[in-house]
Amino acid sequence: MRISGFSAGARFGACVLASALIAACSQPADAPSKVADTPKPVSQRPPPNPLRNAYFGDLHLHTRNSFDAYIFNVRASPDDAYAYAKGGTIKHASGYDLHLNSGPLDFLAITDHSEYLGVLPAINTPGDPYASVPYAKELFSTDQVAVNKAFRKFADTLDEGKRMADFADLRTVRSAWNDTIDAAKRNYEPGKFTTLVAYEFTSAPDGRNLHRNVIFATDKAPELPYTALESQNPEDLWKWLDQRRAEGIESLVIPHNANGSDGTMYERTMWNGKPVDRAWAELRQRNEPLTEVTQVKGTSETHPLLSPTDELAGFEIMEWYIGQAKKVTKFDGGYVRKALKDGLEIQDRVGVNPYKYGMVGASDSHNGAGSYEEDNYHSKVGIRDGLPELRGSVPPKGETWASYKIPDGIQRFSSWGASGLTGVWAEENTREAIYGALRRKETFATTGPRMRVRFFAGYGLKGAELSSEAGVKAAYANGVPMGGDLVGKPTGAPDFLVMAMRDTHSAPLQRIQIVKGWTDKSGKAFEKVFDVVCADGDKVDLKSQRCPANGATVDVKTCKFSEDKGDNELAGGWSDPDFDPKQNAFYYARVIEDPTCRWSTWDAIRAGVEPSPHLEKTIQERAYTSPIWFVPTKAG
Amino acid sequence: MDTGNAPAPRVGLAVRTRGWFGRAAREPLLQFLAAGIALFIANALIHGPDRRPQGDMVVVQEGRVKQIAQSYLLLAGHLPSKPELQTLVDDYVTEEIAWREAIAMGLDADDTIVRRRMRQKLEFLVEDATASEEPTEADLQALLVGHPDVYRLPERRAIRQVLASSDKRGEKAEADASALLARLKAGADPAKLGDPSMLPAAMPLTTQEGAAALFGDDFAKAVFANKSAGWFGPVASPFGRHLVMVMETEAGRPAALEDVHDRVRSDWIESRRDKARDDFQARMRKRYNVRIDWPEAYKGLPTTPDPSPKTTPLKQDPTGGE
Repeated sequence: MRISGFSAGARFGACVLASALIAACSQPADAPSKVADTPKPVSQRPPPNPLRNAYFGDLHLHTRNSFDAYIFNVRASPDDAYAYAKGGTIKHASGYDLHLNSGPLDFLAITDHSEYLGVLPAINTPGDPYASVPYAKELFSTDQVAVNKAFRKFADTLDEGKRMADFADLRTVRSAWNDTIDAAKRNYEPGKFTTLVAYEFTSAPDGRNLHRNVIFATDKAPELPYTALESQNPEDLWKWLDQRRAEGIESLVIPHNANGSDGTMYERTMWNGKPVDRAWAELRQRNEPLTEVTQVKGTSETHPLLSPTDELAGFEIMEWYIGQAKKVTKFDGGYVRKALKDGLEIQDRVGVNPYKYGMVGASDSHNGAGSYEEDNYHSKVGIRDGLPELRGSVPPKGETWASYKIPDGIQRFSSWGASGLTGVWAEENTREAIYGALRRKETFATTGPRMRVRFFAGYGLKGAELSSEAGVKAAYANGVPMGGDLVGKPTGAPDFLVMAMRDTHSAPLQRIQIVKGWTDKSGKAFEKVFDVVCADGDKVDLKSQRCPANGATVDVKTCKFSEDKGDNELAGGWSDPDFDPKQNAFYYARVIEDPTCRWSTWDAIRAGVEPSPHLEKTIQERAYTSPIWFVPTKAG
Repeated sequence: MDTGNAPAPRVGLAVRTRGWFGRAAREPLLQFLAAGIALFIANALIHGPDRRPQGDMVVVQEGRVKQIAQSYLLLAGHLPSKPELQTLVDDYVTEEIAWREAIAMGLDADDTIVRRRMRQKLEFLVEDATASEEPTEADLQALLVGHPDVYRLPERRAIRQVLASSDKRGEKAEADASALLARLKAGADPAKLGDPSMLPAAMPLTTQEGAAALFGDDFAKAVFANKSAGWFGPVASPFGRHLVMVMETEAGRPAALEDVHDRVRSDWIESRRDKARDDFQARMRKRYNVRIDWPEAYKGLPTTPDPSPKTTPLKQDPTGGE
């Protein structure tokens, strides 16, 4: 113990210094803000293309401002996340470098969890009022059990939808939200890179995932995000966004990980348990034009049990709850194709389709950096799954695949994958054009590779070639692109045009399929998958509606795939052999790559061990276009 | 703050200082401080003392009470009731007494959080001194000119291309492309030659990176390396063989200020802040003699650290982490 006689003087000085500082700080902020309101156009900005270009981006990414990311030791800021997306190199929480092999992205939405936004960094900042919460020490302890226990306090309040009393003061959230907006302004480079102001609404009643991302049209965003701690009911979020829309703040909502919702993401009932009605269907459709069909935590297109006749339905299926090692039991209501079908059935009943979803893909990485490439995979939860041993692709030291009993938590990580991206068709790379494409659903999702796909439907399109400018012009003039409604004619059948181009960093394409859903007279929905273009000059067998196998292979010792099988580009026209002009229907295209190594195989090869016998060794990457909805005319 | 008797941190660092009062008198910071003291005394004469420890007397002045009520308003959304305010002020008194006692016992000195927080306050103070500075256009111009490589606009090229598709022609693509090249050179219409593709037949002015995103890295490299006028090729890409004509080349050039104004401005502000912090730290280090007693396993590391640690200026690839 030290009794100090001297220190009074020094303290005195320090206090004066502090008061001088405070005086200096309390000057009115006539200093200009750090961020210019409108970035000046760069002289290198390319001219807009009226026939639209494909741009690729990630609409779902977390940084250290997300409460969970911070716990995963992620310290990447929004600026770091933008730097990575623009082709830079940043650090993973486990210390290694992260860099995109396939070049920079064109756009990025940073979607930090709005609940406790910026709160964990504040708790870890000495002197911050939040640093004094009693569990601060446990949160940042080296004892993983203690960390989990303290962290669970946060996760539990999300399951319950109640804000922890310690964080009732929203000043920290407000400040972090302003930082999010400022970073989006600062990193926007019109013509080159688009930033979108966004956040995640993290509702998970009883752990069932109803998470959604909210994306704003401009950098004018509400003062604070509306979070799942205000209400877990997404209907309340939509109504709140309707109000903001009335005030001139336009936005859209993208639900994700329906696969982890245990059947609750796309229900036939409303929050109050009553069947979906017309007003609810309109509210949902107005706010939710898109859904995230694929990401690191699995692909939610469809499940083998829901689509037993689709041989490719079992793709990157993830059957766990989100954030816990608990198995999902209900698949109906948890997959997009079934929702699209249910939407048609509901439309037949109430007149409006609530599930009129366009397709987007995203990473949902919490590393401040998306993990899209199989040969460059770092998964998504920082130090928890940043190394192969932690995600079950390599057995721990001293174990073999025969001896190793894989814990549930690691099996969960093994079921995750290198995915996904959103492609949009937009005139130029600006916030207005990209957001416009999202709003009209001229979007496609890919499971990571940057394959491009065009898809049109219309009358009299037969013979038009999407490989020529004239063909694309004709398709826009006489048809509708992906995401659109094709209004039927009483007679005749529409033509479909589809074309896809491979990613030069991935394998050639194997085929293009069209997935059709429709309702019959009784109002019941059905689905069918048609192969429509085959690679290698092969023809679709009209009886099975399938391409012959093209024989593409992968050497799982080296991951070399057959370059001579499959095509760089596939294009074709199609008409529906079962077409009925009186039926509501949707059609979306699915582009299938030749097989390549799954990330887990790459991990094993690098570690010099056999790939896990429990995991798929190869993968067929794919792209999903937004559907085109066929709307029968009343007279028909 | 006891200069002669600083507690030794656990890792075995010993920091020794000597005679800093003499040196300090010449320091701008101390001069600033002295001015502050004068202000403080003036303030104290006018408003009376407030928070200074002064024997057994704790006075909570009206201004402080108002501030406590205002803080409550921010948190709760309404002003405190009388009993609430009484509780809050009472708590403030408890805090004030505890603070005085803790300081007297020197509890602030060996508390990591207090130490870190004070360091942070000091750094903020130094950084804030530069925060209100706004660069002039001349400042920005100077920064721009001083870092031509950082602010360079890359070369762009506009091309036309004709594809001999490997999907369609397989092994024959190379030979077919050579034949196409001869026809193009003889003046044939490129729109009538080659295979249809989603790839653009004409690409407007685009950087090499942009061309690579469409045609692949090898193609982009070859096209940007080409020096000759007219049609050339065949150039290989994953799509087959291409015949290419460069329609326009815009040389890479140092950016004009209007191209990169916002970026240069935020870099200027950041570099200013970094410099202020670095200069301050270097000045402070000068006043101390530092000696580090490394444990056995670490012997060989320098016993005196870098006298002027630097924040990296104009970093292009920010790394994650703080």
